[in-house]
Amino acid sequence: MATIEFKGKTFEVDEDGFLQRFEDWNPDWVDYVKESEGIKELSEEHNKVIEFLQDYYKKNGIAPMVRILSKVTGFKLKHIYELFPSGPGKGACKMAGLPKPTGCV
Amino acid sequence: MAFVSSGYNPDKPMEDRISDIGPRFYKEFLPPVLEKNYGKWVSHEILEPGLLVHEAESGDKVYTVRVGSARLISTELIREACAVAKQYCDGYLRWTTRNNIEFMTTSLESAKALKADLNSRKFDKGSYKFPVGGTGASVSNIVHTQGWIHCHTPATDASGTVKIIMDELFEEFTNMRMPAIVRVAVACCLNMCGACHCSDLAVVGFHRKPPIIDHEYLDNMCEIPLAIASCPTGALKPGKTELEGGKKVNTILVNNDRCMYCGNCYTMCPSLPLSDKEGDGVIIMVGGKVSNRISMPKFSKVAVAFIPNEPPRWPTLAKVCKKIIEVYAAEANKYERLGDWAERIGWESFFKKTELEFTHHLIDDFRDPAYFTWRQSTNFKF
Repeated sequence: MATIEFKGKTFEVDEDGFLQRFEDWNPDWVDYVKESEGIKELSEEHNKVIEFLQDYYKKNGIAPMVRILSKVTGFKLKHIYELFPSGPGKGACKMAGLPKPTGCV
Repeated sequence: MAFVSSGYNPDKPMEDRISDIGPRFYKEFLPPVLEKNYGKWVSHEILEPGLLVHEAESGDKVYTVRVGSARLISTELIREACAVAKQYCDGYLRWTTRNNIEFMTTSLESAKALKADLNSRKFDKGSYKFPVGGTGASVSNIVHTQGWIHCHTPATDASGTVKIIMDELFEEFTNMRMPAIVRVAVACCLNMCGACHCSDLAVVGFHRKPPIIDHEYLDNMCEIPLAIASCPTGALKPGKTELEGGKKVNTILVNNDRCMYCGNCYTMCPSLPLSDKEGDGVIIMVGGKVSNRISMPKFSKVAVAFIPNEPPRWPTLAKVCKKIIEVYAAEANKYERLGDWAERIGWESFFKKTELEFTHHLIDDFRDPAYFTWRQSTNFKF
């Protein structure tokens, strides 16, 4: 387990760069991760996805299924990949501070 | 080694990115004789163990030499296979669906020379690199999984168990004296990646203890509803617990009486590990098949509830596998798969002849369909 220092804040992350604790999330985390996820500038659309993921996680305790993410945000999967090149799991969930996706991935 | 760039620019990850091109078209790699006679084959024959001949409408013949492979192989061994293919087969070769390697030539002399050459190649410690066989009514390669080499949910090893079973049954790989083909498969946990549920003989890694709950990290690492929904017996429920420091956390509570140690919850939640040195081992299943030949496809059925892990040679496992195969080979009729044989003689006779112990673990108790596996008949043998 590694600790990352960024803009005076510390984040505990695992070997894949996912936050260890959802409560540790703050906007600086997105700033820090975006580089490694191939994102130059954060747009409104990025924030909309991140916000929805966080709301859904807080409310339901799980990350939404891809179809729910698409339906609520109105972004097709193709567009989500354009926003987050690593995809909704490795890209968007990581930036939103959600736990690492599990199962046979 | 110092970093050497492939030309990829991490500052512009999407620039010059090629994607969605799929695999290469298989016809690019067809030997000319196969390409010429594609879809025009008339007959085939197994000349001897590991050597097939196919004849086409045009009269062309192609000879195939099949060799065993460990599936998990180095680039060095792949290069050696390529060198053999270059020497005898104009650089063409293929892998089968059981991870054997096939070399194809157009003349019998060259096929015989190829077979002799392949059988003469050995590793330093004496194992055959390319043992020829696996055709006809034999025990061909074992379909297997990752095991302790690479996976995080196994209850046993794959490469290790496969090696000892193939060592034990090697004579059956290089001969064709079984009543019918015997498919063996190994999976290291109940996920059963591969073919265990539909093989004549299957070895499956199995746990015997419920998961350990890492309360401190569980809520951070896991999506709790997913772990709860992953349980086939409803043994998990959400709950709260107090850590040593007095901190209250959300967590999962396991009802050990309902847990059958499938490990699904660990797959979904890293804070529920359950592998255990003494607890883990393998179960043996028998009687599955996928073909439609004579009888319909069958699932394999549990015949041995537990055999401990005994690395590196798994002697008990090897002995039981050998025994089942020997009794089957001696008793079954021609063309009868292991499952066909067991169903014909009755499972009580199967257990009697193979001298396997029948324990209560083998009686299905999973939901309504379990009922249909019990005997609602007076037809049985003493």
